[in-house]
Amino acid sequence: MAAPFLEVRNLVKEFGELRAVNKVSFEIGADEMVGLIGPNGAGKSTLIRLITGILKPTSGQVLFKGEDITGQPIHKTVNMGLASTFQIVKPFRHLPVVANVMVPCLCQRSRRKGEWVKTVELRARDSLEFCGISDLALEPASVLSHGDLKRLELARAIATEPDLLLLDEPFGGLNPAETRLVAKSLKRLHKGGRFGRLHSEGPAMMIVEHKLTELMPMLDRVIVLSFGEILAVGTPAEVVSNKEVIKAYIGKEVKALATQSG
Amino acid sequence: MVIDILVNGLVAGGIYAVLAVGFSLIFGVARIVNMAHTAFYMLTAYFIFVGTTMLNIPLVASLILAIILITIIGLICFKLFFDRVKQHETTVMIISVALAMLFQEILFLVFGGHYTGIPPLAKGFVDIASIRVSYQHIFAIVTTGLILLGLWLLLSKTGLGKAIRAVSQDREIANLMGINVNQIFLIVMGISVALAGLAGAVIAPIYMVSPLMWIQPLTIVLASVVLGGLGSVGGCVVGALILGYTEIIVTFLVPGGASLRGAVSMSIMVVVLLVRPEGLFGVAFEEERL
Repeated sequence: MAAPFLEVRNLVKEFGELRAVNKVSFEIGADEMVGLIGPNGAGKSTLIRLITGILKPTSGQVLFKGEDITGQPIHKTVNMGLASTFQIVKPFRHLPVVANVMVPCLCQRSRRKGEWVKTVELRARDSLEFCGISDLALEPASVLSHGDLKRLELARAIATEPDLLLLDEPFGGLNPAETRLVAKSLKRLHKGGRFGRLHSEGPAMMIVEHKLTELMPMLDRVIVLSFGEILAVGTPAEVVSNKEVIKAYIGKEVKALATQSG
Repeated sequence: MVIDILVNGLVAGGIYAVLAVGFSLIFGVARIVNMAHTAFYMLTAYFIFVGTTMLNIPLVASLILAIILITIIGLICFKLFFDRVKQHETTVMIISVALAMLFQEILFLVFGGHYTGIPPLAKGFVDIASIRVSYQHIFAIVTTGLILLGLWLLLSKTGLGKAIRAVSQDREIANLMGINVNQIFLIVMGISVALAGLAGAVIAPIYMVSPLMWIQPLTIVLASVVLGGLGSVGGCVVGALILGYTEIIVTFLVPGGASLRGAVSMSIMVVVLLVRPEGLFGVAFEEERL
């Protein structure tokens, strides 16, 4: 495995009596694509929010590129190269779609010195193009369908030119065709390269998702979370044949996948 | 008479608009209800007074220095008082009232309660339809127009404007997009106070300067902001123009109107709000600001 790029150490989050995340530790390499799966309420979204810095952990540490980012202001973490998308998409509803993507293009990390606003707009458009919604660039974000909002969210995250992308249910609410499209985009992004004016170094990714059929073939490694604790870590093939996982997880889909791969 | 009303209404409305936009901007972006906004405008007028009459600095240099100085004071006030408690809107409001009173008392102490004046930047008159209009009035109209145009360009055409609007709509998400929200607050506070300073610099040679000159514009600014629709920058410009014109029309046409103008302006605001509680260009939801 590559050197730890993101390191989570003994992360604990308590909401009153409830311990949503319990002593979770793992590492992600700079070129890895990791899945984070688990039944509803396992603490996946909480974990993503703890890593991003939206939630403060009760105890534990998050290290990114060797630096402790626990409790650091969110914008600093984003400017270090950690971007994220969320289950519930919150666009700037009264800005046009393209302006929604221009905002992250203006962050310290992806801002170019002396760049004209028109060039920023072109970069934002390339990001939209990459996600397949460039035709909606001038619409206000408030009129977008759920599927398009999901893609807008992705476009905004990649506009910060991240080194690590945390994606919370990127396929959530998408129809099968849209899901395939987004999955393909993610794979292309992970490989890296130039997409118009958009530059991708091939970010590491951690993806929370329930649609395992689409997710599993993309991944290098899977982390399974259950009741706030890590249940299993391994390659997709190892995880789907793990008895504990099948027992804890909804079962059906993992079993189906196990039959497929085995 | 018509020309008088047109010119004076445009001057009053324009100044109120510049003040109201500054007030609305920091409120829309950082949810700071800055009741000391017009006190900054008053301080600028006094700085110019000190510069020109006491320190004998040329008028133009005094204007520029006063605006720079007030912006710095505004930013210091933001850092010292508002920044720490900005999560609590009511606390910020009370602090800002206290701040305005403090400025007022300091001015009373230093300069006494009497009215003072500042020489106009542009001396002389021009005859428009046999009515004398002073160059200072024309200067005030052109300057306020340019300030509002500049602000519109900043907000709608520049990257900084996009970031400001993003922060005003959802500061948490803007933060997640890598935007330093606190830095944006500071920039907007700077712009807001500089706008108050500019208004002060334009108006000081036309109106009288006194330690109470912040109160009347403040009520009009609050009324414009509410009338135009809370948080709508464009709306508060229209609100300010309506109230500015109302004030001038009442002053010119109603006997003894000068003392009635405030009451009529407020009545218009109340009537509009009874019909349209969200204001003329108001938005029903918090998130729809700016």
